Amino acid sequence: MAFGMEQGLIRNFCIIAHIDHGKSTLADRLLELTGTLSAREMGELVLDDMDLERERGITIKASAVRMTYRARDGREYELNLIDTPGHVDFTYEVSRALAACEGAVLLVDASQGIEAQTLANFFLALDQGLVIVPVVNKIDLPAAEPERVAQELCDTFGFRREEVLFVSAKEGAGVHELLEEVVRRVPPPSGRPEAPLRALVFDSKYDPYKGVVAYVRVVDGHLDTRRPLRLMATGRRLEPLEVGYFRPSPTPSQALVAGEVGYVATGLKTVGDCRVGDTITWDDTPASEPLPGYRPPKPMVFAGLYPADAEEYGSLRDALEKLKLNDAALDFEPESSLALGPGFRCGFLGLLHMDIVQERLEREFGLNLLATAPSVEYRVLTTDGQELPVRSPAELPPPTKIAEIREPWMHLSVITPDRYIGAVMELVTSRRGEFVRMEYLEHGPSVREGERRVLLEYRMPLAEMLVDFYDQLKSRTQGYASMDYSFIGYRPGRLVKLDILVNNQPVDALGLLVPADKAYQVGRALVEKLKELIPRQLFDVPIQAAIGGRVIARETIRAMRKNVLAKCYGGDVTRKKKLLEKQKEGKKRLRRIGRVEIPQDAFLALLRLQR
Amino acid sequence: MKGRGGPISLYVHIPFCELKCAYCDFNSYAGLEELMGPYVDAVCREAALWSQAMGRLAVRTLFFGGGTPSLLPIPLMERLLGALGKHFHFLPGCEVTLEANPGTVGLQYLKGLAMLGFNRLSLGVQSFQDDELQALDRLHTARQAEEAFGWAREAGFRSINLDLIYGLPEQPLERWQATLERAIDLGPDHLSLYALTVEEGTKLAYQVARGLVPPPDDDAQAEMLEWSLERMAAAGYEHYEISNWARPGHRCQHNLAYWECRPYLGLGAGAHSCLPAGDGWVRFWNVYSPRRYIEALAASAGPPADVVAGHVPLSMPQVAGGEVVDLDGAMSEFLIMGLRLSEGVSLEEFRRRFGRELLEAFAGPVTELSDLGLVEERDGRLRLTRRGLLLANEVFVRLL
Repeated sequence: MAFGMEQGLIRNFCIIAHIDHGKSTLADRLLELTGTLSAREMGELVLDDMDLERERGITIKASAVRMTYRARDGREYELNLIDTPGHVDFTYEVSRALAACEGAVLLVDASQGIEAQTLANFFLALDQGLVIVPVVNKIDLPAAEPERVAQELCDTFGFRREEVLFVSAKEGAGVHELLEEVVRRVPPPSGRPEAPLRALVFDSKYDPYKGVVAYVRVVDGHLDTRRPLRLMATGRRLEPLEVGYFRPSPTPSQALVAGEVGYVATGLKTVGDCRVGDTITWDDTPASEPLPGYRPPKPMVFAGLYPADAEEYGSLRDALEKLKLNDAALDFEPESSLALGPGFRCGFLGLLHMDIVQERLEREFGLNLLATAPSVEYRVLTTDGQELPVRSPAELPPPTKIAEIREPWMHLSVITPDRYIGAVMELVTSRRGEFVRMEYLEHGPSVREGERRVLLEYRMPLAEMLVDFYDQLKSRTQGYASMDYSFIGYRPGRLVKLDILVNNQPVDALGLLVPADKAYQVGRALVEKLKELIPRQLFDVPIQAAIGGRVIARETIRAMRKNVLAKCYGGDVTRKKKLLEKQKEGKKRLRRIGRVEIPQDAFLALLRLQR
Repeated sequence: MKGRGGPISLYVHIPFCELKCAYCDFNSYAGLEELMGPYVDAVCREAALWSQAMGRLAVRTLFFGGGTPSLLPIPLMERLLGALGKHFHFLPGCEVTLEANPGTVGLQYLKGLAMLGFNRLSLGVQSFQDDELQALDRLHTARQAEEAFGWAREAGFRSINLDLIYGLPEQPLERWQATLERAIDLGPDHLSLYALTVEEGTKLAYQVARGLVPPPDDDAQAEMLEWSLERMAAAGYEHYEISNWARPGHRCQHNLAYWECRPYLGLGAGAHSCLPAGDGWVRFWNVYSPRRYIEALAASAGPPADVVAGHVPLSMPQVAGGEVVDLDGAMSEFLIMGLRLSEGVSLEEFRRRFGRELLEAFAGPVTELSDLGLVEERDGRLRLTRRGLLLANEVFVRLL
């Protein structure tokens, strides 16, 4: 071969960890030790290059850095560190990043031990057949219990004690050793350099000059700018503009060969054309089979996004389109609400994804948004045998046409010290969760009763997780519990549509689907909350919760009785008039539900009501 | 505004107080007593400026407000009234009111006032419950209020008003009733009953914001006002403005000038004036700080030429700011002020002053407000209904 690295000297690996277990710090240290970046340049965490990621301490978009490392065997290795998104919403993206590797460093905090995402990531890596290097991090911390955590790794995952490495990514201790072990334990790639090109897209970003930049792992063949390419799943053809790798800044190169990791600038206009998991091949002599595992992104959580000011509808559409360039998982279609006016029903991979999109819309595009309570996609079987996807309670057919409503269920794992088992059980079962199994992660006499970490597994409707579940889990376990979840499938449920009527008029944005046996409780709580939020009007306003026309809860907001300036003499006129003018201005910005006027902030609070 | 050259109402602001009350957002200051002399001199100079600029204006009412005007010693009061008499022409039967706080006035002082020509006294009683008075930072007791009232009668005041406040935080209806009963027992000629209002920048606003004191309860205040309307009527008082009641013949002529949008001139720090201009009027106000007010008038030589020439008097040295109210603004102010009166506004008067039909100019809002049951038109007048009385702001906002 004329160019590129011999596969035997390549190691492709990633770091998998629970949030805050030190992944970014370790990545930093690796870059520094391999001279990819000097200590001075290490001012910031390199792998996370979005502000939002840094603030939230998570990685949203994976990226890949090439390092050169001279090992103790005297040979120079090309190490490709592939970063993985750190949150449960991006499981599929994680699995694709893992598929680009041969090995994974499983990083666990020496004071925290195994957490739910450690577990989830471990199994994902195992599914991909990766060699896993267990590493206990933060051994410098006063609260560190490296031995206990090492034992936990052995008990839970079946590692041998001598396989476990100890590092302090912060202080650099043990990091050289780790690099040596990566070289020693992680197998080199074993692609077929002479076969037709097959490159796995494990991430993509939109660049205004180069179009979509695909992050790829070349499995077979080689990738250069001379040959037109094709994406096998979407069928898109493309003329590559540039090929290269990250060091950590983009460094163009002649080609990427089998086993290597890098990028290709595709010139495509949206990441939707170049999706994570797709296979790039030559357009003239394509590979016969794509790489396995491609799956189009599937939104799980839906919410209506509306501009606070109806005149910003166009800006919101433009902003969503721009975000979509970079986020193939974001889904949106126009929707119109009686109470909110025109807006969009958006689909997200999960709650975090939804938060991120909302925050970016507000921060990067300066939009002021109203968001409806998140919902899941229901499947409604109608009496005439159709199956309808329903992403918003407003889309439900009339009750008489509904034969069955199905909702998505998730597999939920929670890891917590065993003294909180009762609290977790109570929370999960109050949200229709079903207990599946329990397993102690720690054994032996060394761990005190109540301190033993236990894995709890449940099945639970996704809808029950959407609002406040994670916060509740955290608060009921004093922050100790961690969780992870994955989709299992649709199951029929006894669900009813709860309408909320304000002044006898149903408010579409407030309607929701609830389990039949909880309808009364939810309806009561909602009308009481609305009574607090909606200011008094000039007339009595009934607030009702109803199921198919039957009112199950009612409150009345009594008409305003007094609103009068007690004093208005000569010296008061100017000031009091200003006050009235301010009130008048305020009235213009009121949201209206029929004749009922609601201030913007109360309306927002109303949309955010915990269901 | 009624025609130029007609009589005006005159207001004199006395910004001194012994202590700033918890609810008070007026232009008043405690601890500035040493400024009283220079301040009175400045007001005298202001009066002189006006007469130089506009001639000796005819005055139909005079009102000393504050602050606590009753803190001014008789000799200063005499100097002030002397100057006013020189620069203005007081019409026969002119109502001359002084605001006074119980505890600041004795019999001799009140006799002195009567001698100087004051014929109406407004006592800031606020409550007949000592604990409530304390909570409001008032320095007098209920007993002192009764005493002051007695002395005022003895001194010869034939028209006395009491100011009372209702709807204090957590005040039960019964306690308000007790206060009002004691007031009625004294037999005043006029009563101003004010719902406690949390004004920005006051101690009360701070206490409410910090959660130290609950905000006044609108429903409780509504109930108190409704009870008071009945009780006052039974006691023979006419309800003539949202917060004011009087025995026949004792309505406050000075305050009526505000509600009827007649011209008034305000002298003193922060005093507001309103004079005819164009097809509306101009409202302006003096500098707020008593010290700066004194300085502004000390430096002045005479009235600015443009004011003398009949222009809007915003260039007067003591004036801090002002606004021209055009025809539209004037019509809407006429309604907002006039609807405060129980009689409401006369359609005929509106036509005479603005050359427009009220019911045409405000067709939309008046229809909406009638439908809401907040206003009614009867016998050529538009007025608030009983319900509209309690929801007057809802009415006013729609008339802006």
